[in-house]
Order: sequence, then structure tokens, then C-alpha cells
Amino acid sequence: MRLLALLAVAVLVALPFVVGSYVVTVLIFIFFYAYLGQAWNIVGGYAGQLSAGHAAFVGIGGYAAALLSAHAGLSPWIGMWIGGALAALLGAVIGYLGFRFGLRGFYFVLLTVAFAEICRVVALNVDAVGGALGLYITFTGNPRQFQFQDNRAYYYVALVLMLASTALVRSIERHRFGAYLTAIRQDEGACEALGVDTLRVKMQAMILSSFLTGVGGTFYAFYLFSLQPNAVFGIPLSVEIIIRPIVGGAGTVMGPILGSFILSPLAEISRTYFAQGGWNGAHLIVYGLLLIAVVLFLPQGAYPALLRLARRRP
Amino acid sequence: MSSRNKDTNRRTFLKAAGAAAGATALAGFPAVLRAQAPTFKVGVVHPMTGPLAEPGQACRLGAQMAADAINAAGGIKGLGGAKLELIFGDTQTKPEVGRTEAERVITQGAQMLMGSFDSGSTAAMVPVAQQRRVPFLVDIAAADPITANVAKSVREGQQKVQYVYRNFPTGSSFGRKAVQYFGEVFKEAHVSPKRVVLMYCNDLFGQNNAKGFQAAHAAAKPSWEIVDVIPWPEPPQDLSTEVSRAKAAKPDIIAPITRPASAQLLLPEIRKQRLDIMGIVGPGSPGLYEAGQIAVLKEDLEYVMASTPWANFKNPRTQKVAEDYLKRSGGKTFDTNSGYSYDGMSLIADILERAKSTDPDTIVESMRKTNYANGLMQYAGPIVFDEIGDNPNAVTTMIQILGQKAVAVWPKEAALQKFVFPRPKR
Amino acid sequence: MDPTLIGQGLLSGFLFGGVYSLMAVGLTLIFGVMRVVNFAHGDMMVWGMYLAWMLSVRAGIDPYVGFVVCAVALFLLGLVVQRGLVERIVDAPHEMQILLMLGVALVLENAALVTFGPDPARVRSPLSQATVWLGPIFVDLARLLTFGLAMALTGALWLFLARTDLGRSMRAAADNPYGARVIGTDVRKVYGAAFGVGAACVGAAGALVSPILPFQPTSGLGLSVTSFNIVIIGGMGSLPGAFVGGILVSVAESMGAVFLSPSMKELVSFGLLIAILLFRPAGLFGKTAG
Repeated sequence: MRLLALLAVAVLVALPFVVGSYVVTVLIFIFFYAYLGQAWNIVGGYAGQLSAGHAAFVGIGGYAAALLSAHAGLSPWIGMWIGGALAALLGAVIGYLGFRFGLRGFYFVLLTVAFAEICRVVALNVDAVGGALGLYITFTGNPRQFQFQDNRAYYYVALVLMLASTALVRSIERHRFGAYLTAIRQDEGACEALGVDTLRVKMQAMILSSFLTGVGGTFYAFYLFSLQPNAVFGIPLSVEIIIRPIVGGAGTVMGPILGSFILSPLAEISRTYFAQGGWNGAHLIVYGLLLIAVVLFLPQGAYPALLRLARRRP
Repeated sequence: MSSRNKDTNRRTFLKAAGAAAGATALAGFPAVLRAQAPTFKVGVVHPMTGPLAEPGQACRLGAQMAADAINAAGGIKGLGGAKLELIFGDTQTKPEVGRTEAERVITQGAQMLMGSFDSGSTAAMVPVAQQRRVPFLVDIAAADPITANVAKSVREGQQKVQYVYRNFPTGSSFGRKAVQYFGEVFKEAHVSPKRVVLMYCNDLFGQNNAKGFQAAHAAAKPSWEIVDVIPWPEPPQDLSTEVSRAKAAKPDIIAPITRPASAQLLLPEIRKQRLDIMGIVGPGSPGLYEAGQIAVLKEDLEYVMASTPWANFKNPRTQKVAEDYLKRSGGKTFDTNSGYSYDGMSLIADILERAKSTDPDTIVESMRKTNYANGLMQYAGPIVFDEIGDNPNAVTTMIQILGQKAVAVWPKEAALQKFVFPRPKR
Repeated sequence: MDPTLIGQGLLSGFLFGGVYSLMAVGLTLIFGVMRVVNFAHGDMMVWGMYLAWMLSVRAGIDPYVGFVVCAVALFLLGLVVQRGLVERIVDAPHEMQILLMLGVALVLENAALVTFGPDPARVRSPLSQATVWLGPIFVDLARLLTFGLAMALTGALWLFLARTDLGRSMRAAADNPYGARVIGTDVRKVYGAAFGVGAACVGAAGALVSPILPFQPTSGLGLSVTSFNIVIIGGMGSLPGAFVGGILVSVAESMGAVFLSPSMKELVSFGLLIAILLFRPAGLFGKTAG
């Protein structure tokens, strides 16, 4: 298994020298969304606390880094950690309010959505952060400003993000923290009865998850060169973040990666196929049907299904 | 309206599918068998789905019609009669998809880009244009920084060449022109309204336009005041309280910046609450002049004025194109979105004619030297690009709905009819 | 502050609350009986609106009459979705439920885009233009009518749940699915009916609201978010909760528009939502928490 993983990584490292810029871009987004999905996976997959407001952390991280870069000349390489910390702060607030007040399941989902929407409306109306116009980053291609003239440099950054987050989640899974998270997802009451401080564990998961997502926000800002409240705090981005780990298998190490490698290329192929025609929206119908199909036929997610398939082979 | 749309879409789809099949078949043959004329591929990327699907689809059709007209007239003679081949992209109104689509169309052979209406997607496409050296004509996008940032980084030596240019009024120019037209119209009508209430949709375009309008007002210091500013979340579900608030400010004029959905709520509400005003004069926004809007709002749109980018209907070519557009779009007006995309494509053809080359830097040189007077939109002069990469001659026109039709009423050179202001009492 | 403005704001907000209530009733029924969160709620409502629009434009049927057709159509859609999809994942993890309904929402939204195009539409009804003036304050008759209909619909649903066998089975299945099975209730049939009836309410709401609210294929998300807000505040599964919640949210937003900047009025409803989630998660009329 380890040999397979190393081989896969080697292929990914070599790929940009073989394929064109378009495929590189598609892969960049596959890696980036896998990273965000992995970050979500910690609190949403393993701990089972479904957050549908993770876009808020992307937004806060991105805005913080962009503002610090524009107004204080602070390199985003440093700004990204500050952005992550601020996102973690919001995560702590949301987590505390949610967990302390005993919000489970759908109620917690809605709490996270409410906070993300509040961030969005505030960002839309506060001129200091750009209002509805948003923030625009000048394209300089200067690596010190977390920008690269060559698309492939972004590829490697995104690849590192994905691999590092996956290694982190794998490590969590193998240690006690991961066991606590899984136990809490399965039966929180029993955990508490056994003396586990579930509030503390859940808070740790939430803070870690939101921190990592906030760091991702900086990548978003300096790859797409603009931050707009509706795009970066909005529900559609939160949805994009969570569907990959869910499709791949929430609470598994490879889930977000597999989900991303399934969904992104299919979305690309579907959109390209329908691009020249007149049926605008057909590609999204296909995408929606795909999500439905995954739920019906792979109800535990793609990765667990793959494992089961592998085990059946003699 | 919807069935015609569907038929048009289906026909377009079948045509395109047939063309795509044909092109794919030809591409499979070795070059020596290819007998057709060379093509120049242009990537045309707009939102086809998502919240901005409606203007995006209009843009694509405008671009397509212009390309068809150019190809029918013999293509680009400066490139040996090369036909324009459009490679379409859908940004889904999302910046990350905009960026990916830009990469995709370039990989499929696009040597120039046009798009993309939504400032977020456009900003995401700028680095692609700069990285891959593909000249990018922004047909519509309001945010000033899109071109200004590129110009700045070229000035500061961080980038060698500016590949991004825009032919559309910037946010600040919208405001300046609106304030100017307000003053001129009031003077011509011999009235002096004092209290203006600015109401706007709180999205990128609305906020940008509103800020520009207020800034221009502060700079010009005219005899009328903006007594209240009322933004609403876009799209709104209810505007009754907003209109009540406007009424409480005792306005002489309501200045709305809308989108089609909010206009459908706002204008009937203004009538229902019996606002006693001289008129509704907008600083410029969609929703106040489209054929579809007139069909829904009817008398509520009558006498409404808006300072908006508009086609020059005094030009007989414009009339012809507008009629064509009416047919091909299933009943829509040839307006800002379709118009600027049409002009954008015509402009690209002109640039290529003068460049006589497919080398990106040569094309950029040709772009900078642009002096194009054959646009269908109303301009204050020929299309040129300034140091930032914008067209200072892209301006707005004051139009008014008269007899359930949108006509240009100011300035005099552009006017097809005399304006009616103040509006008659009901 | 102008007292007329405040008074008008309160009245407008109160009446518009009827619209909100209609939106929320179907959602709360589905959740109350099946504990399923219908993320495709707003998109189903948009289809109800488009059906009403088609009836009005093609057949000249006024939406205040045609809503019955929309209700039936959406009932069938709800039944299909429940039997074909939701039922299969009853035991699957929560996140799969969410993914399923997100997929359904995506399909519905883009099917509407392909079928009807992206332009906003509104249904013209002669009633939607009328107003009545009480001194300086006016009453929007269309909203008054919708308010009355919301009350009637909520009342009818209440009677259905309280007096009919199917309704009682639904309540039994809601309170205790195992127990309901024990006494012989066909829980599967009940769930199907609940989703269908909930969807029918959503379809009727869409039709009744179509003369008041302009709509586009992408309107679904906003309607869903608003409806979820209302249902949580009023209490998941509670019909009076949906009704009162709708009015409360609408009045709060209206006051937000009067006293703050109207572009921030959503903050008022989200703030209210968070307060309810923290201090009374069951909602104003809800029974059990979580």
C-alpha cells in the first residue's frame, strides 16, 4: 500500500512536465478542494459535526491575508498564518456556541450557515474590506507575494497542501484524538459516560479544521486574484467544500482526495461536453444526478466501497 | 417567450453539435487534406449558469452574431481570410470556474479571450492572460481594478506587457455621466428638483455605481441633494419597507439602481405607495428598459429614465442587428450586454486586421493603437485605449421608456425623441 | 423617526409574513414527520412558481385558482422523490441525506434554467396591483389575500393532521416510528404521504406567492435559507410555529430595514436565528430539542 502511495505521489510530481496548463489548472483545483475537504473532514467527517459554513473560514483567511498584503505590505507567506488564526478564532466561537449549547445534527448545520451568511452580509456592507466590490490583487507574479508567473508553481503548492493535510489526518486517525473523534460521532452520550471531555475534543477539532481552512483562504485569494463576499463566503462554496469528502467517504483518510478526483474531472468533462451547445445548465443537471447516484449506490462513500471491492479480490 | 427560447436553443445546439462534429471529423484528418480557410480562435467566456446567467447568455449571443457577420463578409482579410471561430466557456458565475474555463479555451487553441461580465471571474482570468500571453478584451465588467492593476504592475516592472484591455465604461465614469446628465436634463426641462433619494441593489454593480454616483455628486455640488441612500440585498424578496422609507424622505426624484428582479418589485411598489415624485431617473442599471421588463411592468416603466450604456440607434446598421437579435434571442432587446459583446467581437476583428499577425505582442501593439469608429454602441468618440487599458470614450446615454419603448433622449446628438420630464400626473 | 414609517413598516412586515409562513409550512411538515431536511425546498417552490406562471400565460388561469394544480403536481414530485430516493437512504449517515437533497436541488434548479431560461418572471394577477388606504398607511391587498390563504392553509393542514386517519398516522410516525409500526401503521406509506403533502404545500405556496415575488431559476437557494430560518425559529415540525415564525421574521426584517440599513436586514433574521438556536433550540413552539 505504501509503495502504491509513493508511486502515486511520484506521478503527481512529474505530471506538470508532461501535461498542458489546462490540465495543470484542473489538478490545482482538485488538490485545493481536496485540501479544504480534508480540513473539513476533521470536524465534519471524523467528529461528525456537519458544518455547512466552512466558506466563512476561507473568506476570513483570504481577506485577512489580502488586506495585510495590500495595506501593511505583509507577505502572504506570513499573512496566511494570521488568516488561519483569525479563522480559528471564529471557529472557536461557533464551536463553543454550538457545542456548549448542545446543538446536534441539523441544528449545528444551520448555526454554521447562519455565521457564514452573517460574514457575507457584513463583508458586503463594510467599505473598509471592499464592500460588494471586494478586494482585487494585482498580478505581479512575484513569489514573495505568494504569486507565481508559472502555473506549475501553484500546482506544487496545492499538492503540498493536499499531501500535508492528508498526512495530518492520517496521523490523527492513528492517535487517541482520532479515536475520540470517531467515538463522539458514533455515540457522544457513551463517550461522556466514559469520562471523555467531549466539549474539549470537539472544540479542538473545530479549531484545527477552521485554522487549516483559513490558511487555504490565502491560496484562494492569491490564485484567483479577487475576493468577493458572495463568492468567498457564500453557500455554494461551502457546498463545494463538503461534497468531495462526503462523496469520497466522510471520516476516511482518502475520502476527500478520492471525492475530489471523482467530482472535479467529471464536472470538467460534463461542462466541456455541453459547452458549444445551447442547453445552458445541462452540465449541472448531470452533476446533480451524479451526486444522487453516489448517494444511492455508494452510501458509505467511494473510498469504503473501493476498500470493500479490494477485499473481495482473492 | 420561453418556448421560442427553447427552440432557438435547440436549433443553436443542433447547429453547434453539427459544426462540432464536422470540425472534429476534419481535425482528425492530416493537415494536407484540410482544404478549408485558416481560422482564428477566440475564447468567449461568460456566465451561462448561476445568478448572472441572464446577462451572460445575452453576451454570448451578441458575440456570436458579430462573428457570424464578420465571417459572412469574408473573415479577417489581414490574416488571409481567416474565419473567426469561437470557443465558448461558462464561468457558472464562479471565479474558479472562470479561471479554469479560460485555461481550457486557450488549450483548445484560443489565441484571444473575450469576457466575462462578472468582475470576479474576469479578475481570475487576468493572470491566465498574463501568464500565457493571450490578449484579453474585457467586453463587460465594472470593477476599475481589473485593468488598473495590470497597468500598475507593468509600470512597476513586475509584468512586461499588458494583455488586458476593456471596452466598457468604468464604475466611476457611470457616476460622472449620470450626475452630468441629471443636471443637463433638469436645466433643459426648466425645473429644479431638490431632493433625490438613491436606492440601489447591494451587489457589485449596484454598490460600485452608487458610490460613483455619490462621489460625482459630491464633486459637482449641484443644486440637488441626495437626501437618503437606501440599499437592499440583491435579490430582494420584499421592498415595501424600503419604499416606505424613501417616501418618508419626501423625494422629488427616485434614483434607482436595479437588476431585473428587483426592478419588478420596486416600480410597482413606488406606484402602490403613491409616491408623489417628478420622476424616476436612474444613474444606470439593468432592469429598466429590457423588452421582457416592459412586458411585465407595463405602465410602471413608462416615463422612467436611466443613464445606461446604450446602442446608437441612429446608425442603420444598429437597427438591422437589433432586429436580428430580436429574432435569434426569442424576443429580447439588443442592449448593453449583447451590444458591448457584439462591439467587442467587431473590435477584435479590427485589431486582427491591423495586426496582420497572430503573435500576441503584435496583437497587443495593434490593440494599443486602436481607433475604431464602427461600433454599434453610443460612444463619445472612436474606441481608443488609454494608459490603463480602458476606453475613455465608452459612455452612457440617457434613455426613457416612452410609448412602452426604450428610446435615447439625451444628449441631443444621441436623442431620437424629446424627453418627458417631469412625468405627467396620474 | 417618522411614526408613519414605523407603522407602515410593521404592517407591511406583518402582511408579508403570510408569504413567509406559506413558504415554511411544507418544510416543517416534512421535517416534523420524517426528520429529513429538504435542501431542495426552495427549488421545489420555484418549480411551483414556474408552473403557476405557465398556467397563467398559456391557459389564462389565475394563480389564485391554479395553485391547486401546482399542489397536485408537486405532490407527485414529492412522492417520487421520497419513494425513489429518500426512502433508500433512511439509514445512511446524515451527510448522505444532505448530499442527496443537494443533488436534487441542483437538478431542479438547472432543469428550470434549461426549460424556462434565466430571465426573472412574475405572474400578473389583477389582484396583485390593488391597494387600500387607511389614512397615511396603505394595505397591499395581494399580501392581505396571501396572509389569509396562509392562515387557511395552515388551518387546513392542522385539521388534516388532527382529524384524518392519515394525518394521525403521520403524527404517530413522527413521535415514535417504532411504536407506530408496532400498532400496524404502514410507516413507508405514511412517509411517502408526508413528503408528498409537504411538497404539495410548497407547490401551492409557490403558486400563491408568484404574483408577489419575481423569481428566477436561481431563486431557490435564497428561499431555502429563509424557510430554514423561519422553521427553526418557529420550531421544527410545528405548524403554528411556521406561521408565527414567518410573521416574526418578516416583521423583524422590516424593522431592520426601517432602523438600520435595509441591505443589512438579513442580519436581523440571522441574529434572531442564532439567539433561538442558543437559548431555545426547539423554537418558539417546538417540543423537544435537537
